[in-house]
Amino acid sequence: MRIKPFRFPAWRLLSPTPSHGWLIALGGVMLAGAVSGVIVLTKGLVVTNLTDLVPWGLWITIDLSAIAMSAGAFLLCAAVYLLGLKRFQPLARTATFIGLIGYSMAVLCLLFDIGRPDRFWHALVFWNPHSVLWEVTICVTLYFTVLLLETAPILGQAEWVQRRWPRLARRLASVHHYAPVFAMIGLGLSMLHQSSLGATYGVLKARPIWYRPDLSVLFIVSAMAGGPALTALASTLAASLSSKVKVNDGLIDQLSHFIGWVLAAYLYFRFWDAFAMTYTYEPGRTEGLSLLTSGPLSFNFWIGEMLLGAVIPIIILLNPRLRSRKLLRMIALALVVGGVVAYRWDTNLAGQLVLLTYLPQEITVRYTAYIPSLVEFLVGAGIVAYGLMAFTLGARYLNVVNHEVAPEAEHQMKMVTAGTI
Amino acid sequence: MNRRLMKRRDFLKLLITGAGTIAGMQLFQNVQANVHRAMAAGPVGESTHKWAMVIDQAKCTGCGYCTEACRAHNDVPPEISWNRVIHAGKVGSKDVYISRPCMQCQHAPCVEVCPVSASYYRADGIVMMDYDKCIGCRYCEVACPYGARAFNWETFTGDNPAVPEWGQPEVPRRPRGVVEKCSFCYQRIDRGLERGLKPGVDPEATPACVVACPVGARKFGDLNDPESEVSKLLANHPSYRLREDLGTGPRVYYLPAREEASS
Repeated sequence: MRIKPFRFPAWRLLSPTPSHGWLIALGGVMLAGAVSGVIVLTKGLVVTNLTDLVPWGLWITIDLSAIAMSAGAFLLCAAVYLLGLKRFQPLARTATFIGLIGYSMAVLCLLFDIGRPDRFWHALVFWNPHSVLWEVTICVTLYFTVLLLETAPILGQAEWVQRRWPRLARRLASVHHYAPVFAMIGLGLSMLHQSSLGATYGVLKARPIWYRPDLSVLFIVSAMAGGPALTALASTLAASLSSKVKVNDGLIDQLSHFIGWVLAAYLYFRFWDAFAMTYTYEPGRTEGLSLLTSGPLSFNFWIGEMLLGAVIPIIILLNPRLRSRKLLRMIALALVVGGVVAYRWDTNLAGQLVLLTYLPQEITVRYTAYIPSLVEFLVGAGIVAYGLMAFTLGARYLNVVNHEVAPEAEHQMKMVTAGTI
Repeated sequence: MNRRLMKRRDFLKLLITGAGTIAGMQLFQNVQANVHRAMAAGPVGESTHKWAMVIDQAKCTGCGYCTEACRAHNDVPPEISWNRVIHAGKVGSKDVYISRPCMQCQHAPCVEVCPVSASYYRADGIVMMDYDKCIGCRYCEVACPYGARAFNWETFTGDNPAVPEWGQPEVPRRPRGVVEKCSFCYQRIDRGLERGLKPGVDPEATPACVVACPVGARKFGDLNDPESEVSKLLANHPSYRLREDLGTGPRVYYLPAREEASS
């Protein structure tokens, strides 16, 4: 048997299609991001608008959002391999791939954000188990490994990989045998660090608006809505943009229904969390809350987070008639994603825009400001473009969104492993 | 195939039970350790010293000599101040200032949150920075209630404008991308003790800001020594610490300016 080498048909470039335009545009943004990234790495973080008063900004928001958006991976894998909801396997496959992209985006963000990217490995060597951020770093590192293993079969199942390196493809695909174990480890690690990211803020007594136990709960619940929402949205989008991609609309409908309920739970927690803070004046906390309800973050909060990010999608996703309209459902899913991103942005800033003075006479409040610099925007956009590019290529060449082939693949996998033993 | 599946399920159950037990025990131990740590009387150590600073607001004139001396001796860049002097209002007709070094907290939020343990307690209570470990994540900056920490947003190159007028650098300059802060001039304390000097008494063994203060508003010494000047001052005068409500247990004490002192 002759092995046909994988070749990119060059003539395709001569007759550009809309998808080429999309990839070229993404490439352009990535290039701008890369150039800005080089500026950051050579000149230092002085090129950002971050200060000692607001040391965490846009990149941290993208980092938090990317991790939240990756939550579909652990949720759907747990549903498929631990709860036995096998029919969701194709969605779990897509979610895992999105998770891998999301975590790599988060790592990229952090590499630019920390002052010494050359020391990124320090947390793995110099342990401070008392630090939630240390725990997050360890969990993210371990979970990234799990995601790599979980996505290995996707690469192994790709036709062109099988054609070119049949042995490697078989080996990669056989990793799928351990999917339940990965699902379990992934569930544990994700529950830990998705919540701990909230606790990263929640344990800081110096920042009264953050200092509350609810943040860890809110972070994981919002991630459980946002992550699957992105998976469902990306799957539907890929199917409607490419004739090669086939999705099972019933599955996406069920997942969307679930997202609606998670979102309702999130809104419930969020309501009591915010409502409880409105009683009595507490220096710093009350000011932080008023930034959200009537200050510079109020549009984000009321419109972005509450109305568009929660109330409207809950109505659409919980109503079978509205949900069954594909465009409306896609809009609702996109709104969920936007709402979670807005929540991360608002949370990160609310604690930093308010400063409590330490002067003894009276505890007074100072306000700070932060608008990302152009370089920050470009690096951030570059990282997001990378994520979109990776997903587009995955959908095209790795078949990551395919609701027809996967159940078959599951069966094959067992045959393969049975054969090797 | 069904038997295979059952086996796998049993294996998973076993794994979950095992992992759950271990995780539960770990969690329990961790919670215990955290509670102990929060209640304990500060960092455990072998040192016989417990360094503290007392700043007399009745004497402080806000001249800022402390900041400049600190800048020179610790080679701090012009845009960073390890020790800030802030106008804090008036008592009677007299202006009152707060001079704010690092509080060297007993329960320092920065030490608790640092993911790489670049911030750590010395046995004598000084909260230290390991500039070789710091990755520059700035979590400590976000966590510090006193704004005592500063990030090196760019490389500090060229001459330090405070040198030589205010002194000579005694510690290496920090690289770009790490967080820095006041260290109670640990280098002066350590070198002084090696030479048999007494920090707080002998200028060479005392933090530069204390030595530079022209009105003697700053005192430094060992709280474990009841005869030290700081112990006596705190025993005989009302004093307070910044944001005591946070439970950080600062090692910097202030003697408040009072109306009668100004008249």
